[in-house]
Amino acid sequence: MEGRIELDGLRKTFHVTRWQRLRRTVGEVVAVDGVSAQIPAGQSVAFIGPNGAGKSTTIKMLTGILHPSSGTARVSGLTPWHERRKLAYQIGAVFGQRSQLWYHLPPRDTFELLARVYSLDRERYRRTRDVLVERFGLGPFLDMPVRKLSLGQRMRAEIAASLLHEPRVVFLDEPTIGLDVVARHELRDLIQEWNREQGVTVLLTSHDAGDIEGVAKRVIVINHGRVVLDDSVSSMRRRYLGTKLLKVRFHERPAPIELDGVSLVKAAEYALKLEVDTRTVPIMRVVTRVLEAGPVADIAIEDPPLDEVIAHIYSQTARERDMLVQAR
Amino acid sequence: MNALAKYVYVGRTAVRSNMAYLGEVAARVFFLTVILYIFLQLWLVTYAETGADRLGGLTLAQMLWYLVITEAITLSAPAVALEIDSDVRTGAIAVQLVRPLSYPLYRLWATLGERAVRFILNALVGSALALLMVGPIALSPQGLGLFLLALPLAFVLDFMAYLAIGLCAFWLENTSGLVLIYSRMTMIFGGVLLPIELYPDSVQWLLVNLPFASIAYAPARMFVDPNAFELVKVLARQGVGIAIFAAIAAAIYAAALRRIHAHGG
Repeated sequence: MEGRIELDGLRKTFHVTRWQRLRRTVGEVVAVDGVSAQIPAGQSVAFIGPNGAGKSTTIKMLTGILHPSSGTARVSGLTPWHERRKLAYQIGAVFGQRSQLWYHLPPRDTFELLARVYSLDRERYRRTRDVLVERFGLGPFLDMPVRKLSLGQRMRAEIAASLLHEPRVVFLDEPTIGLDVVARHELRDLIQEWNREQGVTVLLTSHDAGDIEGVAKRVIVINHGRVVLDDSVSSMRRRYLGTKLLKVRFHERPAPIELDGVSLVKAAEYALKLEVDTRTVPIMRVVTRVLEAGPVADIAIEDPPLDEVIAHIYSQTARERDMLVQAR
Repeated sequence: MNALAKYVYVGRTAVRSNMAYLGEVAARVFFLTVILYIFLQLWLVTYAETGADRLGGLTLAQMLWYLVITEAITLSAPAVALEIDSDVRTGAIAVQLVRPLSYPLYRLWATLGERAVRFILNALVGSALALLMVGPIALSPQGLGLFLLALPLAFVLDFMAYLAIGLCAFWLENTSGLVLIYSRMTMIFGGVLLPIELYPDSVQWLLVNLPFASIAYAPARMFVDPNAFELVKVLARQGVGIAIFAAIAAAIYAAALRRIHAHGG
């Protein structure tokens, strides 16, 4: 039970009151529209969707801040909105845009406070803290006021703070927002390590494709309050865009390659970049053809960037919706 | 016990946090100096013109010390309504709600810690100025003890009002107007500038019994003129005031939690 997340038909609607010429109209906005998913303990899941898709609302229901309009959810066997306090000991949360650290005090002081808030055993707290300090490299700035830390340092301290009470489930809401490339990579590796070694369930939201690939094994895409895709990260790539990028360098000028399902993205004198639609033509045939075209110096087959895959999913669901609307 | 311990530690952390930056103290020192100087001049003239030793039962020196305490109290008020307002508006309240904590109690203790630091600093500066201007007044350890009993509940009472106001951010575009109204009412009806004895007889009874007087007037009066019998009445009024404001704040908080969805997407 510990660390499992189960959502069954979770739905949240808001009432929006509008006044028009002294007449009150109450409209209903559906933020989350029947989301179901099973996340086993220890899995790392990216929870993504465009702005306003219902991600934050779902996370707020799973952390017990919001009551759903209907449906059920259990986190570590608890119903979040009925057992918020009890659940608080089981979960950790980082909201990337809101700090939990005391701004004028060093991270150490916030850690001490959290140890009291979660009534941690002193001995155990010290051990966990020392491990986190070591792992997250907090040593050099543990005693520096938070206001003097860089954003990267601060986020490392934020995440460490949310892990002090050894939660079984961690919600990370845009943890890498605003970070530079290096800090972002470091943070992803840390989250991934912690997930693997401690068996902590991680639910991460982000707009950054790198976060999703770097941290998550599975991806749940929601749009307009509904799950539009629930798949492993690698198979999402394979299935959703049946394309591969083929980069080839030749020793000599190659013969032209013309095949159905292959389009030229870029061509230099000795180099080619091809996009292959693997549903039309098997990649093997394309490679064979390339080898025939001239003496190959180097060849690389790549997946399209995840960013493009995600953009594709979003636009596809938007198109489907438009079609539905037209059909009505 | 454990539950209380965590909130006390919140207060302790707030004390440390406020000790860490004392830059704004300078601004308050300046303000206190100006206001005490102006009132010293006013009172000098008033006492001389009326030829009285005491006004409202207080000597000139007591009158100035009274002002030191009321100003130290009002100037120590943290911007807690604004902080709560912004917690609500930005959704930052979520950070506290995912913890095994009560948000209002967390805010209460953080505010008490912050206010203790600010009050002590203000009182030290104000006392130094008053010593320079009018010299010491008679103080006894027992008298100080009575004063220190009247002070904490004044802060709690003030907090409950700010909590209720800050939580209104769930419905209002901006709560700073309410904050302004409330703080001005404390200033006028709470006897910050003038002890309530100097108000017209017809309103004195009412003013003393309004919660505003329990925040500024009552503790300051206890400081310059300690009285154990009065203290019991002060504590009773503070207790009633806290109960009423806390009930209002609790009702607003309960309604607010149901509305929490509307903010912070």
